[in-house]
Amino acid sequence: MSELLQVTNITAGYGDGPAILDGAHLTVEPGKVHCIIGPNGAGKSTLLKSICGMLTIRKGEVVFNGKRLNGMRPDQILREGICFVPQERALFPKMTVRENLRMGGFILDDHKKLERRIDEILERFPILRERAEQHAGTMSGGQQQTLAMARTLIIKPAIVMLDEPSLGLAPKVIQEMFDIMKMMSAEGVTVLLVEQNALMGLKNSDWGVVLDLGRTLFEGPAGDVLADPRIQELYLGGNKAA
Amino acid sequence: MAAILQILILGLALGGVIALMGSGLSLVFGVMRIVNLAHPSLIIAGAYITYWAFKASGVDPILMLPVSAAIMAAIGVLLYRLMFERETNSVKYSEMTVLLTFALAMMVEGVLGGLFTNTQRVTSPDYATEAFFIGDVFIPKGQLYAGLVSLTIITALTLFLKYSRLGYAIRATTQNREAAELLGVNVNFISILAFAIGLGLAGAAGSLVSFVFSFFPAKHWEWVAMLMSVVVLGGMGSILGTVVAALLLSVVAAFVGTWIGATWSTMTFFLALFLILLIRPQGLFGEKPEMA
Amino acid sequence: MAVSLQQSSASAVIEARRAHNEKLARRADQTRATWFPLTLLAILIALPLLQFTGNYNYLLHLVLFAASYAAMASGWNILGGFAGYISLGHSVFFGIGGYFSGMILARYGVSTIVTAPLAGLVAAVMGYLIGLITLKVRGPSFIISSIALLMISRILFDNWELVGGANGLTLPMNDLPVLWAKVPYYYAMIAIAAFTVWATYRIKHSKFGLGLRAISKDEIKAESAGINTRFYKVMAFALSAFFVGMTGAVWGEYLTYLRPNIFLLILVSANLVLMCILGGKGTIAGPVVGAILIVALNELFVATMGASEINILGTGMVMALGLIFFPLGLIGTLAKTGKLPRVLNWD
Repeated sequence: MSELLQVTNITAGYGDGPAILDGAHLTVEPGKVHCIIGPNGAGKSTLLKSICGMLTIRKGEVVFNGKRLNGMRPDQILREGICFVPQERALFPKMTVRENLRMGGFILDDHKKLERRIDEILERFPILRERAEQHAGTMSGGQQQTLAMARTLIIKPAIVMLDEPSLGLAPKVIQEMFDIMKMMSAEGVTVLLVEQNALMGLKNSDWGVVLDLGRTLFEGPAGDVLADPRIQELYLGGNKAA
Repeated sequence: MAAILQILILGLALGGVIALMGSGLSLVFGVMRIVNLAHPSLIIAGAYITYWAFKASGVDPILMLPVSAAIMAAIGVLLYRLMFERETNSVKYSEMTVLLTFALAMMVEGVLGGLFTNTQRVTSPDYATEAFFIGDVFIPKGQLYAGLVSLTIITALTLFLKYSRLGYAIRATTQNREAAELLGVNVNFISILAFAIGLGLAGAAGSLVSFVFSFFPAKHWEWVAMLMSVVVLGGMGSILGTVVAALLLSVVAAFVGTWIGATWSTMTFFLALFLILLIRPQGLFGEKPEMA
Repeated sequence: MAVSLQQSSASAVIEARRAHNEKLARRADQTRATWFPLTLLAILIALPLLQFTGNYNYLLHLVLFAASYAAMASGWNILGGFAGYISLGHSVFFGIGGYFSGMILARYGVSTIVTAPLAGLVAAVMGYLIGLITLKVRGPSFIISSIALLMISRILFDNWELVGGANGLTLPMNDLPVLWAKVPYYYAMIAIAAFTVWATYRIKHSKFGLGLRAISKDEIKAESAGINTRFYKVMAFALSAFFVGMTGAVWGEYLTYLRPNIFLLILVSANLVLMCILGGKGTIAGPVVGAILIVALNELFVATMGASEINILGTGMVMALGLIFFPLGLIGTLAKTGKLPRVLNWD
């Protein structure tokens, strides 16, 4: 068993509302880029939110490194090493880039270590270093997404979950985002992303997961998912042009 | 010229107090999106605590300030848990909380009316009636002290928000609640804390107000519109904006009061509110029309 | 791993939808008990006959009081309940109506009962003009603007010498014997209340009312659906001011004086909001039920404890508890759980 995170048969939904996830499962292996695809309302974001503790899991189990995560608060799960970047506005727009990074290490108690990590991150992302004292809200979409991803690295997480990192970005910029993800996984950070642009997501990933109606329909190597004729017809058809 | 300088000084000193009165309101809105209509009534509660201590044993109002602030902050924790915590997931959150604070304002007014009657009160330490003279210009000591204490507290609050770990957490929660939670901020705790600080500021303001203005339980309706105009002009949630707006409007009100008539000086605030809503619904410093 | 798409669930979904539709149909099918409000009205019309058997002035006063609040709360409901714009400044229109008709009575001796519709019209025009400004904002900003409006009018009326300033004006009393002195106002108020309730019913079920309810749900969507939201909102404001203004007109003469601290009181506005919340915002019977409840509760507080502080405290507490535990109000909560008695289903 080489899995890092194992999601078994979970049911979850918002408040007292209907179950959005109904028997979803997921296996995350260390060091790979995983891409979850599926139509609108399939439960992709809901799956990520259940894993990171923002939604109560009604049934099923989430196990990370042999530890059950069910019922833990988001900050506890973060301390375990799972970091989630929500869709679109994950930043604090009226804080500077540096302050945003400092928030990324909010759970760290060692102030000196935190400042050192911030400097390391700024060193690695020159585009952020140039803008360290600029308000995050004034940067371009791609820069903001870069900051959101870089911010997760402050605590050296085991898994980074990204909800549609490509949303609203130009194709060229999207490729830059995927390059950052590849770099992260090369360094041993496991990436789990939800992608609306299924074709592009799968091409840049190692592992593909197809989710629909709150259930996992398929899990396998990204290449296999791309090649499956039924998945091509149902989920990749409209995206051929991309 | 001296006359103009005189009005300016009086306006600025009052503006400092009004800034403190408004800053708690602004903070609570910024972090929790609660428009706290009960804020002025809680300021009056703080004023009564101070008044009572002064009457009973001659405690100086400024010395009473931390006590009043602590009492109101404690009440804030209680109120938040009882009334507002459960509304966090309500669909009509902002409408619900406004109505709840409106109900709270009436309750506070009723309790204060029952305890202290509707007579106008004012705390009268010696400095409340004394003044410094610089040439022809006089500076009332009470208003000067109150203004200075106010600005000190606001500066401390700003530094706390800017540099402390909790300050970071509060600002982060204000700007993006979900992201803050995901980075490990206990947003519910932060909400309680911000609400308690907001009410603590009301208590502190109450101590200063007690010797600057005369007050009675129903006075808060007049103040609610006045403070709202300051906070809306400053951009809801921006403390710096609140301070600037408070100083600006008080100076204008001071001129209006001197040149046109005392009745019309309060009108300045209300008319300003209408003008702002008309021209810039998001206020001067707010970047998004959150409330419009 | 095999790819298996779940097609079998489709029939289950269709079945569930059919069951849901049937439930909705049953709910709409509930016939209204129109006889109940009509009987109530008949009883209220006959009530002054009691005066032949003794002095029931207090009872008449209570009914008149409740009717006036029922009319005003129903009027408030057009803006607050249907369109979702909470106003805490509606006592302004109460004051405008009272002062307009009261001044005519004081100057020319024409009874306010005659001029009440005109007073309503004046209030509506004022409401229209104010709405043009304040309805640019919504949510908390609108609520704040409505409080500011009240504060401004209070200062204006307090300093307006023509209408007596803060001391107000005394209005002439009618020369009927004590037993019958209240009766004209009683009938006027009942008529205004009945008319208002009927009008709100007609408004709610008109295309205009539908538009208002759409605005309350989602203003941007309503706008994109082709509703002229600005016109709708301002009209709703004007209409709701009309009914409140009419009530204010008759109230002034009944009270025999006009004074800013009676008419331009935030507690009056608070009561309107409270009645609608407690009874059920956006329902027809809600404001009426709320008015009866609050007037009864008010009498109880005043009779047992006497002080106005207790009244304010009580009003605040009832409001907070209502908001926290019954946000939909009595009628709304009952209707949601399907337990609304048919006699109270006026929608």
